[in-house]
Amino acid sequence: MTAVTPTAPRHAVPATPAGTGLGRAGHAEWLKLWSVRSTGWSVAAMVALGAGLTTLVCALVARDLAAGETGEPVGAFITWGLLFAQVTAVVLGALTVTAEYGTGMIRATLAATPRRGTVLAAKALVLSGTLFVAGVVTAVLGWLGGNAFLSAEGIGLSLGDDGVLRALFGSGLYMAGLGLLAMAAGLLLRSTAAAVSVVLALVFLVGNLVMLLPGALGEWLTKLMPGNAGSRIAMPESFNPLLLEPWTGFAVFAAEVAVVLGLAAVAFARRDA
Amino acid sequence: MCPPLARREPRGHDLLTLGGNAVIVASGLTKRYGDRVAVDDVSFTVRPGRVTGFLGPNGAGKSTTMRMVIGLDRPTAGTVTVDGARYADSPAPLRAVGALLEARALHPGRTARAHLRWLAASNGIPAARVEEVLGLVGLEAVAGQRVGRFSLGMGQRLGIAAALLGDPPVVVLDEPVNGLDPEGIRWVRSLARDLAAEGRTVLVSSHLMAEMALTADHLVVVGRGRVLADCATADFIAQHAASFVRVRTPRPGALADLLRRSGAQVTRDGDELRVQGADTVAVGELAAGAGLVLHELGLVRSSLEDAFMTLTAGSVEYAARPAEVTR
Repeated sequence: MTAVTPTAPRHAVPATPAGTGLGRAGHAEWLKLWSVRSTGWSVAAMVALGAGLTTLVCALVARDLAAGETGEPVGAFITWGLLFAQVTAVVLGALTVTAEYGTGMIRATLAATPRRGTVLAAKALVLSGTLFVAGVVTAVLGWLGGNAFLSAEGIGLSLGDDGVLRALFGSGLYMAGLGLLAMAAGLLLRSTAAAVSVVLALVFLVGNLVMLLPGALGEWLTKLMPGNAGSRIAMPESFNPLLLEPWTGFAVFAAEVAVVLGLAAVAFARRDA
Repeated sequence: MCPPLARREPRGHDLLTLGGNAVIVASGLTKRYGDRVAVDDVSFTVRPGRVTGFLGPNGAGKSTTMRMVIGLDRPTAGTVTVDGARYADSPAPLRAVGALLEARALHPGRTARAHLRWLAASNGIPAARVEEVLGLVGLEAVAGQRVGRFSLGMGQRLGIAAALLGDPPVVVLDEPVNGLDPEGIRWVRSLARDLAAEGRTVLVSSHLMAEMALTADHLVVVGRGRVLADCATADFIAQHAASFVRVRTPRPGALADLLRRSGAQVTRDGDELRVQGADTVAVGELAAGAGLVLHELGLVRSSLEDAFMTLTAGSVEYAARPAEVTR
């Protein structure tokens, strides 16, 4: 490296800033998101896991389903891979903030955009937009792949069938919401491992364990746990008859995400970087 | 003049001489973490057109103060403004203040160019400026490499590139020479001086007195979160670095008497005299007037590091003690 002394004239940079605060912060967050390898890997893993496992499970169960021997709804299989693909949304959501705390880069971010609400809004928009698109693409590919096997047995689902189109877009909505929940957890805990563990435990472990509680308490907790309430929108039909209706469940899930995100926003605004 | 200060408020005339220029004004700045006071009622003004050194031992509160300048840490009390406004209120802060706080505030998986690109986008700075600053710090050849593979010095250069991205009138550099090789240290020194010569306001922190003596025109010395001195570097050196005249003569007794009669303090060690209160000219002329032969005449300065240690003694947070030998 050669040392160069600055010879740049003053005001080498145009003096009139263009764009709004949120627009610029969003552009910066978009560039940040796609300039690290983990994003590409997470999204690729989501598509591969989600679409791949859906296709695989449909291939395996198509004959039994067609024979009517399982007693399970066909619609529950068409986005089945989502169950595993959601892990990648949690990881990506958490990394959006915990990678910055882990490396100290959060200070560069807040020096560039001191308004923390703007930083949070920009991160949330870029993350949820990315996850929505990735979730829909994953669901559509899984539907195309799985439906090939289902159609061969005469039980294929078309976009016009009840809940199919809603489930494909709902997959994007659920992924986006789950990513935001993980991002909020990341802001509160400031550690990738902690945030990912807590959110996955909440969705996979606690969400299933509360079903073991007796009576109405167990029933309602099952309905209200974020993974259970939010994921119903991503499935045309569900294995679990206890779950809330798709849009009702998603509204509950969105409210839960909003509360955690609100707590995270308060902590983020108050803390020193 | 440079009195050690227990407390100093910005005075009226400070503000009158500032004009419309970009300056950093800290006033009663205090930061407490629980019981620990990291920055204790610190007031100072950083003016444009010169390099201001922010000098103090590790743990003196330099970094905390600089973090408060750019709004990363919230002061417990007091205010700090840049050009009369809070940093956080700037619509494009990177164009107002360029800061190098921690060279490692980087994602190791991102390339140097990508790091500067998102910073530029966040403040509406054209992407072409990214290539300019990469050239400015000499990183253009490695701009496409992931910064995780960078040496400490390369990371520091990237941090400086980020600070210069918005072509800001105010530049804040926290320990910029850390991890740099001698060539890099010289580069940072001349960079800081050139930025000041362009009329910018430059604040550079260091825990090394000798480094500051070479770079800074003005010093704000802190210890244990308090301002200990705020004065021109030359004044600080003149006042705090003890110096004496060493003179050797075959007739030390006679010369010592002469010097004492002229009001100087003299200590004798064989044929060598150590004189304080008279410069080499005065000693030489006095000796010549009396016809005394001199074998050696010279000014001896104690090191600047010594001066700094003297001033900050008692304000060092983490001091090493001589190890006790136990058997």
